[in-house]
Amino acid sequence: MSRAVDRSGTWIGWAFFADLGDALALTFSYMFSRSVTMQYPDQEKWLPYSRYRGHHFLKRDEEGEIKCVACELCARICPCDCIEVIPYEDEKGNRRPAKFEIDMARCLFCGLCEDACPADAIALGQQYEFSSFSSRDLVVGRDDLLGKPGKATTGGGVVAARLNTEQDVLVETSEPQGYDWWQNIRRT
Amino acid sequence: MELVFALGLIAFKVALLIAILLLLPLPLTWLERKIAGHMQQRMGPMRVGWHGLLQPVADGIKLLTKEDHIPAEADRFLFKLAPILALTPPFVVFVAIPFGESVSVLGAEITLYVSNMNVALLFVFAVIGIEVYGVIFGGWAANSKYAVLGSLRTCAQMISYEIPMGFAVIGVVMLAQSMSLLEIVRAQADVWNIVYQPVGFFVFFVAGLAEAQRIPFDLAEAEGDLGAGFHTEYSGIRFAFFMVSEYAIMLLVSVLSVILFFGGWNGVLIPLPPLLWFVLKVAFFLYVFMWFRFTFPRYRYDQLMAIGWKVLLPLSLANIIITGVAFL
Ligand code: SF4
Ligand code: SF4
Repeated sequence: MSRAVDRSGTWIGWAFFADLGDALALTFSYMFSRSVTMQYPDQEKWLPYSRYRGHHFLKRDEEGEIKCVACELCARICPCDCIEVIPYEDEKGNRRPAKFEIDMARCLFCGLCEDACPADAIALGQQYEFSSFSSRDLVVGRDDLLGKPGKATTGGGVVAARLNTEQDVLVETSEPQGYDWWQNIRRT
Repeated sequence: MELVFALGLIAFKVALLIAILLLLPLPLTWLERKIAGHMQQRMGPMRVGWHGLLQPVADGIKLLTKEDHIPAEADRFLFKLAPILALTPPFVVFVAIPFGESVSVLGAEITLYVSNMNVALLFVFAVIGIEVYGVIFGGWAANSKYAVLGSLRTCAQMISYEIPMGFAVIGVVMLAQSMSLLEIVRAQADVWNIVYQPVGFFVFFVAGLAEAQRIPFDLAEAEGDLGAGFHTEYSGIRFAFFMVSEYAIMLLVSVLSVILFFGGWNGVLIPLPPLLWFVLKVAFFLYVFMWFRFTFPRYRYDQLMAIGWKVLLPLSLANIIITGVAFL
């Protein structure tokens, strides 16, 4: 940048278009530098950070019981009105959700349900690949939510991945940690 | 018998030329998108075929199957005429372009040109001027403000570049003592014209950029401020016509640069087949066009006119005078 300004300041640089030449040299060098494109989902995928707000999951306590006390606070605070909780009383006399459904098609992933929960029972996890051909499939029930992956521990990396379309559409990866994607960015 | 043979040969050459010109935009669009991608640290098309090689085919099929829409308020006759008017001249021009000396196939001499006109250069400039009418009519007939603005700009642009362009090649004509493109290339067997005519080449190339309506002079299209300029309202096959015409002109300006200033099929140092030399040089200029496109911003059209009238025209006139004086 500064070089162009310096040389085009003199009349000789002006007459021979030094600034245009510098611009051409720059784009030419960029043409042979590494591209930053992440080849998702064929070759690479991105691992979410631990703060990432993806698909919800329900937590269990130490005894393996569902933590949720069916207070319906999450359903109350949800701006999209997409949580439906129906409570019941189990054998031990605890209040638990008989039905706990989230309509992922309407959810905006604000995370307010996670913040509102008094029992620390619901959170937004790391899963972000759950697109579907039918919006009906996006209504997720209690038992599915209990099985969803939790928050990520590491993240921010790009790992090798493979698109698997045999049954569902899955982006598979085996690596736990990837390389830092930002290292590809040229900073000159 | 000989007449039939000669006519058949000409028909074959014309068919070959048309086929090449119609198919060449496919690899060129792919190349353009790849070059654009890599200059911006992207990858360009990657999904259709190996590294997106079949992407232009997919795009072509898409364009051919799209609805051919004519706006309600359009002047239907001109609207249909414009793409044809834009497409035909670049094809016609290639009749006069030589691609090499004659080669002998099966004992018969076959010339690598359709016709060797003694005023080929004049023919090229005269015919290519018609292409501009396609652009102007297209913008006018569409009855849309963006298209009309694109056409108006083309008018302004045409006047300012065609004159310097015509003057720029006069130096070359003086050196070769001929307007035949074949003679011009033969005259460069020892020293390429670029050595004697650097200024002429500069003027020619800048005007050529404007002729091909490429960045930095793509005012008629100017995606940034005019939608798509003169072809905003075109869709489907008619849009494809404009696209093909644009690539054909880009090819034409590259070919003319090579023939007029870079020695045509005359090689240097490395002894390659003449036709290969020619193709390589043309490919280089095509790359330069794309390289420019993704490096420079667009000039305003008053700036283009200022460049045309205040820089290129005096430069080309000075070039003619100096060449003339050197000749004496
Ligand atoms: S993340 Fe927000 S929108 Fe989604 S279920 Fe929770 S509160 Fe509702
Ligand atoms: S998830 Fe939390 S906020 Fe929602 S009903 Fe259960 S305990 Fe209440």
